[in-house]
Amino acid sequence: MTQVLLALDSSSGTAVAVLVEGVVVSELYHPDTMQHAEQIGLQIAKALEVADKKSSDVTAVAVGLGPGPFTGLRVGIAAAKMFAEGVSVPIFGVSSLSAIAFGEELDEPTLVITDARRSEVYFALFEGKTNYGEPVLTRGPGVKKQSELEAEFLSQSISYRLVTGQIKASSVGNLVLAQLAQGGANEVITANYLRAPDAVPARGKKVSG
Amino acid sequence: MNHQLRLATEEDLATIMKLEKASFGNDSWSKATMRAEILAPHTFYIVAYQDDEIVGYAGLSKQTGSTSADIQTIAVSEASRRKGIGRELMKKLITQASQLLATEVFLEVREDRPAPKKLYESLGFESIDRRDNYYQPDGIAAIVMRLSISSLVSGEPLVIGIETSCDETGIGIVRGSTLLANVISSSMDQHARFGGVVPEIAARAHLEAIQSTLQKALHDAGISLKEVDAVAVTNGPGLAGALMVGVGAAKALAIAIDKPIYAVNHLVAHVAVDVLERGKLETPTVALLVSGGHTSLLLVRDLLTDVELLGETIDDAAGEAFDKVARVLGLSYPGGPEIDRVAKEGNPNAIRFPRGLTLPKDQDKHRYNFSFSGLKTAVARHVELAQSKAEEISTPDVAASFREAVVDVLVSKAIKACLDHEVPRLILGGGVVANARLREVAAKRCDEAGIELRIPAFSLCTDNGAMIASLAAQKIMAGEAPSELGFGVNSTLPI
Repeated sequence: MTQVLLALDSSSGTAVAVLVEGVVVSELYHPDTMQHAEQIGLQIAKALEVADKKSSDVTAVAVGLGPGPFTGLRVGIAAAKMFAEGVSVPIFGVSSLSAIAFGEELDEPTLVITDARRSEVYFALFEGKTNYGEPVLTRGPGVKKQSELEAEFLSQSISYRLVTGQIKASSVGNLVLAQLAQGGANEVITANYLRAPDAVPARGKKVSG
Repeated sequence: MNHQLRLATEEDLATIMKLEKASFGNDSWSKATMRAEILAPHTFYIVAYQDDEIVGYAGLSKQTGSTSADIQTIAVSEASRRKGIGRELMKKLITQASQLLATEVFLEVREDRPAPKKLYESLGFESIDRRDNYYQPDGIAAIVMRLSISSLVSGEPLVIGIETSCDETGIGIVRGSTLLANVISSSMDQHARFGGVVPEIAARAHLEAIQSTLQKALHDAGISLKEVDAVAVTNGPGLAGALMVGVGAAKALAIAIDKPIYAVNHLVAHVAVDVLERGKLETPTVALLVSGGHTSLLLVRDLLTDVELLGETIDDAAGEAFDKVARVLGLSYPGGPEIDRVAKEGNPNAIRFPRGLTLPKDQDKHRYNFSFSGLKTAVARHVELAQSKAEEISTPDVAASFREAVVDVLVSKAIKACLDHEVPRLILGGGVVANARLREVAAKRCDEAGIELRIPAFSLCTDNGAMIASLAAQKIMAGEAPSELGFGVNSTLPI
């Protein structure tokens, strides 16, 4: 059976790709970070159409687990889970930051950052790749103000190349394929939020003041 | 294509026999058999004609009471092939079979004829059996093929409904007006220490629960996703981040199983549960929907085409008021059941708490609107005042008096809506329907006013996926087109 991988990532915009036998045959990215619910179905349908594949041709789903702004991140992961359930195929998840790093040369320490809103960035530092191409994480992932992160690295004399590249769904797919070829990929699909919900436990009973 | 179809008559017999012989040779039916077939009461024979010349024919057999139909024969003249006439004939027979309520259509095709087999496959037929030496005297095997007519066509759509507007991940499955499964995974416990639903926590919980909730619903319904005709999802009103989990999930599921998707209004769906319990919604009806997120009065003249929002809360929802007052009284979350429990021992007339928006001056602008914020504050003041004077308060009395005030306003306004609009029915919905006093007072006052009261089973009153599936099934049966894939969520979606 032809291997058809549907790859999704919604850690920034809405990214969808289809990889047939490891070859990227469709790659879509909708940059609006407030339109995931609207875009996710359109982009999946279009990616399959461009690839000339039916949903029933899909043999596996790959999804970026973040980190990313929560609301959008969840839309992509929920969609990936239900698509996999709908066509009865396995689903694999990878870090969205690792997926960005996967497409980079990692000969020198490489800091990948993405927008975390509230003037902060999600970050992870990578250096080198494993024998099957997976980026080696040396620090993070975390969420911080970029200026604080830079100051921290400076104080520890860590030099790095900065990558702010936009994620491609095909990188999510290719990373999963590399992991699978090596023997196995992560099947635990939970969003990597890196932040607790903003909620404060109820203080007491005073409500009238 | 300029050919047309019509019913076959006995006058067509001679032409049909000519075509029959040309098409099937020594395998042809006799003229007597063909005449009997065309005239039989349980058969449906049609001819395709062009310029008054019959160029093809086909026949279907469907016994009364049987759920299956058989394609008896089909032939197209040599000169008219590859023009789609065979397909037209087949489609007409399949439509007829579904109108006769067949759920399966069978046919046999010669194994040595790949062209017609391909046509049948393209129409959705699947090979299910092979019979050796079926066609004599040539000794050719027959391939038996079957088409499962989508229940969408036969009138009872199988619909999955996904609801994630608040803190319940609900997935329900209905077939037409019949409930097959209603699974709810609630994140209520996770909100307890915050004294109310935290949207981000609710949304996270939906993502964690949605897949297993679907699996359980499919299991409960005893169906597979292959059988499903449509996916439905709440797209508002509700918590935006929570709604988006359901919408993303539903869209991907619909694409995966290649079925249409219906976006559904949460509030209207609450009313649609009556269909699952009584087969249809009696209209017109007033609906009082009371939960932690909503307090709304609807006038439903038609479930699909005419639902009017008469009024709603202008501040807190009734359920929210229960939660907040429970905190004031040191009771746990959710407040509704706790206050109900404590109030049993209390005197509902001990303290006269205010009834929001019930004064004569409110009757123009806020006749059907609700306000519970002032009531909540009045309870808090009452308790704080007593504490500042170091007086004991009777928690049961406060709980009972508060509950009485809420229930009084809810029921009074609902009955007023019924009387104003001369509607003899009231249906309740939403989680606060679990409140014993609300049910009791509603029953008593509806009875006095000659209004029929409908209280659905509690599992259908709280937020659930079955109501979403139910409303979508009604839309489908009424021929409503599905939603476009690009719809979004709307936390204040109007009715």
